[in-house]
Amino acid sequence: MPIIEVQSLYYSYPGSKEPSLIDINFKANEGEFVVISGPSGCGKTTFCRALNGIIPVSYGGEFKGSVVVDGLETTKHQVYEIAQKVALVFQNPENQLFCTSVEREVAFGPENLALSREEIRCRVDEALEMVGISHLREKSPDELSGGEQQKVAIAALLTMRPKVLVLDEPTANLDPLSARSFLKLLARLNEEMGVTVLLVEHRLEMVSHLADRCVIFDGGKIVLDGPPREVLYSDTASRLGIGVPKAVLVAKRLKLQEITKAKPLTSWELADLVRGIKP
Amino acid sequence: MIRLEDVTFSYASSKPALSHVTLEISDGEFVAIIGENGAGKTTLVKHLNGLLKPESGRVLVCGVDSRETTVATLARKVGLVFQNPDHQLFAETVEKELAFALVNFGMPKEKVSEKVEWALEEFELKQYRSRSPFLLSGGERKRLALASVLCYDPEIVILDEPTTGQDSRQKHRLASLLKRLNEQGKTVLIVTHDIEFVSDYIPRVVVMSGGKLVADGPTGECLTRLELLERASLISPQLAEISWDLGLKSPSIDLDFVVAGINEMIRGLHG
Amino acid sequence: MKVLAGFDYRRGKTPIHKLDPRSKLVYLVLYSALTVYFKNPLILLLLFVSTIPIVSVGKIWGRWGISIKGSVFFISFIFIFNFIAQVLSGSTMADAVLSGISMSIRFVALISIFATFFLTTSPEELTQSMVQLKIPYDYALTFNMAMRFVPTLGKEAGHIMDAQKSRGLELEKGNLMTRIRNYIPVLIPLIISSFRRAELVADAMESRAFGASKKRTSLYVLTMGSNDYLFIAISALSFLLLLSLNLFAGIA
Repeated sequence: MPIIEVQSLYYSYPGSKEPSLIDINFKANEGEFVVISGPSGCGKTTFCRALNGIIPVSYGGEFKGSVVVDGLETTKHQVYEIAQKVALVFQNPENQLFCTSVEREVAFGPENLALSREEIRCRVDEALEMVGISHLREKSPDELSGGEQQKVAIAALLTMRPKVLVLDEPTANLDPLSARSFLKLLARLNEEMGVTVLLVEHRLEMVSHLADRCVIFDGGKIVLDGPPREVLYSDTASRLGIGVPKAVLVAKRLKLQEITKAKPLTSWELADLVRGIKP
Repeated sequence: MIRLEDVTFSYASSKPALSHVTLEISDGEFVAIIGENGAGKTTLVKHLNGLLKPESGRVLVCGVDSRETTVATLARKVGLVFQNPDHQLFAETVEKELAFALVNFGMPKEKVSEKVEWALEEFELKQYRSRSPFLLSGGERKRLALASVLCYDPEIVILDEPTTGQDSRQKHRLASLLKRLNEQGKTVLIVTHDIEFVSDYIPRVVVMSGGKLVADGPTGECLTRLELLERASLISPQLAEISWDLGLKSPSIDLDFVVAGINEMIRGLHG
Repeated sequence: MKVLAGFDYRRGKTPIHKLDPRSKLVYLVLYSALTVYFKNPLILLLLFVSTIPIVSVGKIWGRWGISIKGSVFFISFIFIFNFIAQVLSGSTMADAVLSGISMSIRFVALISIFATFFLTTSPEELTQSMVQLKIPYDYALTFNMAMRFVPTLGKEAGHIMDAQKSRGLELEKGNLMTRIRNYIPVLIPLIISSFRRAELVADAMESRAFGASKKRTSLYVLTMGSNDYLFIAISALSFLLLLSLNLFAGIA
């Protein structure tokens, strides 16, 4: 059974003439790493917010269709119930941290769940360890770099033991090195904990080789959905002007597919292929 | 022309944010300043319109020492557009937002409306003329912020992280706009850590690290120096990485050049 | 505005920092009451001097000093206004001067008492003590968030001013009314972005199961130690001693 199942989802914000999401059908299996991309304003952010129920529960607006997460239909449950299944990381690292220390921030979720103090302590230690920020425990979020702040945001969600992590352009405000290390962290959490990852990201060159699947939105609809290699080599992708990795562009120009049938996504895959071409 | 002579600056009681920076940018150049967070890029550009004044050394903009004039005077020549449009948009309508700087600089009324019209046209904001800036989308707000500075026709245009949160089509549009401005004779300077944007569109780079200027030269040359990129905590452009992984004789950040290089290599394998 | 240095908390490990905020709160309330109650300049001076051991043990000389120095500006105002008011209401010159002196010392003493409290008490612990004093969690959280976002707001105001100055805004130009109007392009973005932030923070809180349970656990628990009881005892005893001075010796 899929962990997320979205059926014929249609949504428009209150007061908005145009719908933000149109007839979205989407499934994700447990443990999948899905990267979502598409031009600005294509509905990705709205989609993320629909996955943990803030849309429509907190926003209102017109909502049709259904979103079911781990067996719970979002419109029939409180956001705090869904939030324990689907953790949402936002784009701006600063505005999602509202406590005065990292430890408090990370403890906030399980405190709300009224767990025992020992349990909370244990989860906090574990989450900080897992994300590799134990040394920042006493710091104020205000003193941290953007990359560190995003890691705190993840740790603060992991303490609720979610099954799915949904991340809305988490690296948009990070410098490239921090972005890369953050994306690696996601891949590791996906691998080691089996947590399902849905990541909205423009920098496909950094993430497409880590993902199992790539979904492209345009104009509120899903226009492509498949393995990253298929999606990024498709004509639709180049027509939409998505930030396709340069290795793909080079491979296309070299017409490598005709020679080797392979679709490299990274520089090293490309290099191996080219070297392997038999005379 | 912009000239920094041995400029040092530090914020209260911490180590220098800029230390002994010497840099010259001629009229009509198109330059990117790159470096990791905290490298001193933003501090540097804030010196160019006098928001910050050097502790030691001097900053000359169009021949004027920044310490001997006001921000309002320098800003007339140096248009500085910050990263977050929400830090500057405030007027009731798009039109008034565009007029703000023009009025501040004391332009006559006819001139103001002429420039506003030009900006509405140039930046495709015409249909939003009397809409509130706060009702525009993220991309549109960014465009408006840029327009609200460019409308007063500064000789030098500086953009701080203009590509943050932009998709590749928006980036492409931005690049062609900047190129056009540059071709009209404006000096264009961008501060960014978007290495792909720089390697695709901008001819000259200034690399900063820890408040120091560590390299300055043609983009293709600087961004294919691995040791420099590592020292400045930058990631390599994808095409440079492809060049290295394939062991191309002359690594490049130019797509055509790299493709040609690989083709030659394949032919070599065959031969 | 240097007086505000008296609210600039930094982490510390002195016995004063380690006291439970609730015991410091007892001290704050009792001593503030005394300062407001007494008029005698010598007693007020004594109250001021009594804060010095706390400053010394708490090692907060620096920011305390800045705050006290900053209050001098206000003192001159207080003295002059009080003096004029007294003379107008028919007091003798000598009484007016004495009263002005008392008011000034009272002000400095209050600043000092508040500074010792806020300079040695972390906002987190203060929030925690609010929770343990059965103040509803929502209020405590609001207080804590205000503390968290003050520096962010300050930074943001800086960015906005830079952006508007770069568009030719001159904040220091014109007469008083113009100057106030000059701040509109700074205030509007600041307010709007604060609203936006509030919405985003609300989303973030909801996404972390805020409101899931009526009886929320609190990871931290403040406990009173022997030092706390000692501190409360000293505060209370000296409070009673001073009050009895008033009752039996008639010093007010």
